[in-house]
Amino acid sequence: MRHNKIKPIVLLAALFSFAILTLSAKSIEFNGMLRDYLAYTFANSEFAVHEQALDFTLTGWGEHTRLVVNPTVYMSDDKPLTLGIREAYMDFFLENADIRIGKQAIIWGEAEGAFITDLVSPRDMRSFILADFKEIRKGVPAIKVDYYKDAFTFEGIWIPRFVPSTLPDKESMWAKKMPGQLASATVNSPASVEARLENSEVFGKISHFGSKANWALMGGYAFTNEPYISKVTPGTPPVIDQEYGRYTMGGGSLSTTVGSSVLRLEAAGYFDKPFAAVTQGPPPSVVVENHHQVQALAGLDWSLWQAQMSAQYIFGYLFDHNAKLMEQGRPVKEYSNTFTFRVQKTFISDRLTAKLFTYIETDPLNALVRPSLSWSIEDGVVLEGGVDLFVGDEDGTFGYYKENSLAWMAVRWYF
Amino acid sequence: MRNKHTRRVAFSVMLTLLAITSLSAAISGEEAMQNVYNRDSGNNMSANLVMTLTNSKGSTRERSIQQFRQADATGEKKIMFFLAPADVKNTSFLSYSYADGRSDDQWIYLPALKRVKRVASDGKSDSFMGSDFTYDDMGTRHPSADTHKVLRTEMVDGRSCLVVESIPKEAKPTYAKTLSWVVDNEWIGLKKEFYLANGTIGKRLEINSYEKKDGVWVITDMKMSNLEKNSSTRIQMLDVSFNNDLKENFFTERQMQIGPRI
Repeated sequence: MRHNKIKPIVLLAALFSFAILTLSAKSIEFNGMLRDYLAYTFANSEFAVHEQALDFTLTGWGEHTRLVVNPTVYMSDDKPLTLGIREAYMDFFLENADIRIGKQAIIWGEAEGAFITDLVSPRDMRSFILADFKEIRKGVPAIKVDYYKDAFTFEGIWIPRFVPSTLPDKESMWAKKMPGQLASATVNSPASVEARLENSEVFGKISHFGSKANWALMGGYAFTNEPYISKVTPGTPPVIDQEYGRYTMGGGSLSTTVGSSVLRLEAAGYFDKPFAAVTQGPPPSVVVENHHQVQALAGLDWSLWQAQMSAQYIFGYLFDHNAKLMEQGRPVKEYSNTFTFRVQKTFISDRLTAKLFTYIETDPLNALVRPSLSWSIEDGVVLEGGVDLFVGDEDGTFGYYKENSLAWMAVRWYF
Repeated sequence: MRNKHTRRVAFSVMLTLLAITSLSAAISGEEAMQNVYNRDSGNNMSANLVMTLTNSKGSTRERSIQQFRQADATGEKKIMFFLAPADVKNTSFLSYSYADGRSDDQWIYLPALKRVKRVASDGKSDSFMGSDFTYDDMGTRHPSADTHKVLRTEMVDGRSCLVVESIPKEAKPTYAKTLSWVVDNEWIGLKKEFYLANGTIGKRLEINSYEKKDGVWVITDMKMSNLEKNSSTRIQMLDVSFNNDLKENFFTERQMQIGPRI
């Protein structure tokens, strides 16, 4: 509650600071978007979401500096007003280096709609993965330094204080229920990570930008962005404690042209990543185990009949797997195979855009199918509509939300 | 009197024949288009582009782009920063074209994704920002992509132009052929027609204004008319400047994300 009262004060303070700091800046830009979003779930025959979002960015420019503040406001019929600042950072542009200090969203990798090496910024999963990509990304207070040498970039990131992903509330239609004996458990909020130097996160990346290929090698020492079950206290109901744990990641990405198409590759290894091994009981119990895990992606982008197309295959493997391992309240699979497909075509001088994005998991077979249409009423004003269909086996990542299939419409005004 | 007239006619025929002979002897279509490709375009160039799109009903929309271009013996690098409308603001597009004729490399920076993406070059016939120009039209098509033939000379705006027919070498071209009106010895195009497979004109590019700036010819106002859709796009090049003091690493991923200011 106290947290909610502080937020507007923090926002106002940030805006005030921004105004003061930009007084000496050469110029200020202001742009953003207002959106009204309405979603209708088929299973419940109800308007499950009606939300207005205001997302704007103030940019102040100095001679060799830039200041960016990106406040957000979310309003809906059944939730309190939510104010936030997605990003608030300063850039210092040097001859061969850039330094960014402040709350910032950092994006890595070549994957589209998947998170393989892209683990620096935590995620906002309150709407599962249906929100705009920009909204899924959370800013983290960090210091990022990029040094440029010829076609190479050396990037170092220090996140002094760990920020976790935001998960859906217990009452949310996107909340995941614990299975079996733990379904009725009381789930405590994850233990926060102490703000100590040894608990900071560090990441590094070497990348090359060139004609033949763009590639990057990266690594990091991080916390799991999502919590795992650390303790189960038997009782009626049982009580679940959660925590975040350390692991090391290393990976790489590459994009190049093959003929007239673009090939994208990305892979990462997560070393000694903590997982909860849950025994349902009775009585239920848990042991935290550390396992290595790999994820890899191959994707191809091409153009056909003036439509942009993209297909991806994502492979996952967990070493020393056992049936007790759980992640986010769901069993962890030893092997996972996911395909994505996107086709997008514009009509009438880019006024009408038809798009289809699909995730397909093969074992068990389930999918998320997202066809949509958007119509540019005039420059900067867009009317959109679409359907998000969760289909297939309910044990799958997407089939689990079968009851949440929905139709939606939105109006966006860009300024 | 009759002899005098006959001599005049004979003289005219001789001149015409001489002109045709000297024309064909002087320059081939390939050479003409190579000259257009190699025309001095300055060390680098920057300009603000205003695109006005007019649809078949006459309603208009406007796009604003800041463009930087740099050419050397190996090819051309171009970066475009989209300034308006608001929904595409801060998007940028980078392309490398190569003098040896290999396919362009292209990248797009999407601010919402905060990511620079390599894009497929087979989308070159796609519309550029919903306009009547394609990505191919906005770039510099390498002469080796077509076979060229000088058909005739014609006067355009009081200037003697070679009319060059270019037939694409690719298997399934968007247009069966193009005709370009190229100012002889200046190597600047003043008009271009894009022909469909059935022989009719699909698009027509007209140059409304051009000038010599810092010793370099530059087109400052042009209009592409799509005769099939009955739409048109006008591009005005404002604040054109050459030989700017651009950073060595201006045409890179870094600049795409920063934008044109620094």
